[in-house]
Amino acid sequence: MPSRTARPNTGAGARPQGPPAPAQHRSEDDPRVMLERDINADMYEPIPPYPTQTERESEFYSSGDGEMFINIGPHHPATHGVLRLVLKLSGEQIVDVDPVLGYLHRGVEKICENSDYYHVIDQVDPLEYISSLFQEWAAVLAFEKLMDVEVPRRAEYIRVLSGELLRIASHTLYMGFLALDLGGLTPILYSFIERDEIMEMLASLTGARMLFNYFRIGGVNGDLNHEFMSRLGDWMSRAAKQTEANAGLLNENEIFVRRTRGVGVLDRATALRFGVTGGNLRAAGVPFDLRRAHPYSVYPELDFNIPTRDEGDSLARYLIRVDEVRESIRIIDQCLHNMPDGPVMAKLPRLLRPRPGRAWGACEGPRGMMGVYAVSDGSDQPFRFRIHDPSFMHLETVPTLLPGNLLADTMTIVASLDPVLGGIDK
Amino acid sequence: MPASIGAGSQGSAGAPVPDASKSQLAAPVPGEITAPIVVPNTLWRAANPLAYDGGRPAEVTHLREFGLTDVGRRDDARWGALQVVPARADEVLDLIRTNSLWPLLSGLACCAFEMMSGATSKNDMDRWGMFPFRASPRQADVLIVAGTLTTKMAGPLLRLWEQMPEPKWCVALGDCTVSGGRYKRSYSTVQGIDRVMPVDVYIPGCPPRPEGLIYGMLQLGQLVKDRRGHWAEREIGPTVPDKI
Amino acid sequence: MDRTLRRRLEARLSAQLQGPIRQRHDQTEIRIRPGDVPDVLRTVHDAVDLRFEILADLAGVDTGDVMQVVYHLWSETSPDWLRVIADGIARDDPRCPSATFLWTGAEWLEREAYDMFGIIFEGNRDLRRIFMPPDYTSFPLRKDFLLPDDAARSPGEGVRHIERPVAAARAAADPATGVRRARVS
Repeated sequence: MPSRTARPNTGAGARPQGPPAPAQHRSEDDPRVMLERDINADMYEPIPPYPTQTERESEFYSSGDGEMFINIGPHHPATHGVLRLVLKLSGEQIVDVDPVLGYLHRGVEKICENSDYYHVIDQVDPLEYISSLFQEWAAVLAFEKLMDVEVPRRAEYIRVLSGELLRIASHTLYMGFLALDLGGLTPILYSFIERDEIMEMLASLTGARMLFNYFRIGGVNGDLNHEFMSRLGDWMSRAAKQTEANAGLLNENEIFVRRTRGVGVLDRATALRFGVTGGNLRAAGVPFDLRRAHPYSVYPELDFNIPTRDEGDSLARYLIRVDEVRESIRIIDQCLHNMPDGPVMAKLPRLLRPRPGRAWGACEGPRGMMGVYAVSDGSDQPFRFRIHDPSFMHLETVPTLLPGNLLADTMTIVASLDPVLGGIDK
Repeated sequence: MPASIGAGSQGSAGAPVPDASKSQLAAPVPGEITAPIVVPNTLWRAANPLAYDGGRPAEVTHLREFGLTDVGRRDDARWGALQVVPARADEVLDLIRTNSLWPLLSGLACCAFEMMSGATSKNDMDRWGMFPFRASPRQADVLIVAGTLTTKMAGPLLRLWEQMPEPKWCVALGDCTVSGGRYKRSYSTVQGIDRVMPVDVYIPGCPPRPEGLIYGMLQLGQLVKDRRGHWAEREIGPTVPDKI
Repeated sequence: MDRTLRRRLEARLSAQLQGPIRQRHDQTEIRIRPGDVPDVLRTVHDAVDLRFEILADLAGVDTGDVMQVVYHLWSETSPDWLRVIADGIARDDPRCPSATFLWTGAEWLEREAYDMFGIIFEGNRDLRRIFMPPDYTSFPLRKDFLLPDDAARSPGEGVRHIERPVAAARAAADPATGVRRARVS
């Protein structure tokens, strides 16, 4: 950071000397009455009138006869992240559920408002950490609309290629985690083998295994290189068979099918009311995919289908992801065959100052629509950087989907919705 | 009694039995058995007559002397015809603990996926006995904090740490737990978990490669063997100045 | 840019629009008063030629002078995104009608806007904090909530004196309160 004067590092315990201000640091046992003027005037208070307990809270926490509250705490082995579910149970059946979020709220939006446009792309990576290129893509789409930047075609093809690779990795991981939450400990190992291969591929392309920081406003950071192409070629030669093998572990497994069929049915009207997007919406019967509905990048030139199912249960959500992996392999194939030549990055000034304005950019991530709303005020930092995460809306359906099911179905439903707490909690 | 036993071994091996009182290394303690108790091998015979030292009895016959020599500290140390490794019990316990450090599944954010990558087939932590990620803190040895710690989560995490029975160690995985990392300016993250709990090993990276995690865990094993994780002496608190 | 969408919106919503309909790239933007939010959203959702049934996002924005609530909607009838800006919410007592009567999914989005800005959504059955702990007393994304680091300085300004722009970025920050005010409303 600029203009930081050199200070000697005096190590731990170098505290400023002097007594603390008495008004703010009084202990609770102090017999003096805390006067109005002693309360720190800079504190913001909730704007009155505000009820101490909302309608929904009072409805949830008033338990009937024989109902008990069970807490599936922020730390639990179903590793979707730090999510807390407070369940109201009547015996084994779930009556109501109250998800508590915020255990991973890192203040990304505020940090982005105080970073310049290049740094925002790096900051936005750890949101959906499993598929971090899609947040970058949404941010870059919004910024390119703000700044009227044309992206070279080769860069677009590389974006699609890396994005679809990451989509396959994310879906493979989804399959593994769904099985893990149901108790099957083997498919997750197969998923991680696949995912490790793809991560090493993307590491040879972008430099990092997980939080890539690869997309730039106007293109991508680096061109394809020999190592990436050779790894990709190796992987593609066995990708289709490997996918079938991985999916075959679970598709016909009777326990898996019986535990997921008919569980957590999300019908079309409910899905639209909740703002659900992505695979969960397509499993409910709505063929809404941003790559076809609102095409961005070079998706209009590529030939692929949008798998849709009608049942809306957990099994349908799982099978949609399996189908999407096959479609992604087709897209990667086409990208490799049609890759044009040219630059991979548009020419941009070093200091980016867009005109004042607003822009919304959205891309189709593995979980759904990842959207970014950027407001610019003419300076080199975004004035408002709003991220819309798909898993946020999916988790909102949980209080509707869960009641009526048994306790064991909690993990089925939550896992089949594929939440990633990094994106939900920003 | 000793004479007849000694005669038996002499009969089978044909070498003289050493006298403990002649040892140069340690003075005999009054009341102690001064002659070694040798149990001759009458049950089987090795195929190679030179195996097992040819039946030659050992030079060092008392544990007291054995601990003083550097031969006794080697991993392949042998003590006579019985082929055992004598060691102090706490050294053995440290070795046991090092080779079966069971982590607690405490994956908070992105680094959790590198931890899981480290545990699965390609980079296998099971080679060092660390595969079972226990879900319950009561059964875990190491708390690998993987991922950003927020102020809301700090309470539950500290409760997990307190629930773990001793001996326990803590590993800070990733930049966010080491120092706050990329969230140094955030209003809701803890700037490094050493502000709330004692940390033994810091593994930087965003996220660190699974090989880095494995290196860190092996360093932790070395730490256990060297210092036995003197957990009572670990300090909690920031090691950075107040003003940053 | 969908010109027909502009005409359809002007036909239906002429009374409630505050200012011209702006279109840029693939987005159409209308501004309304916060009091008109239920009517406008209902019209835009139900009208046969509009049918914006998918709520993409609900965001709060603090411009430094006023607050805004921005809705992004999607319809099959148009290739454009529709952005509805409910402008002019006072910063001292920010209130806005809730959109939960149309989309249940707006409940958590409004909770987030409340948590980050303090905007009270009237009609939301569950308006409590979602990210911050329930006893937190600030609203983090407001412009007068400054990060511990000096928020008005950007590393992009450059280290050397000659690289610092004289007027542009400094004027954006009001020296009295340190609040960055947007040059666009």
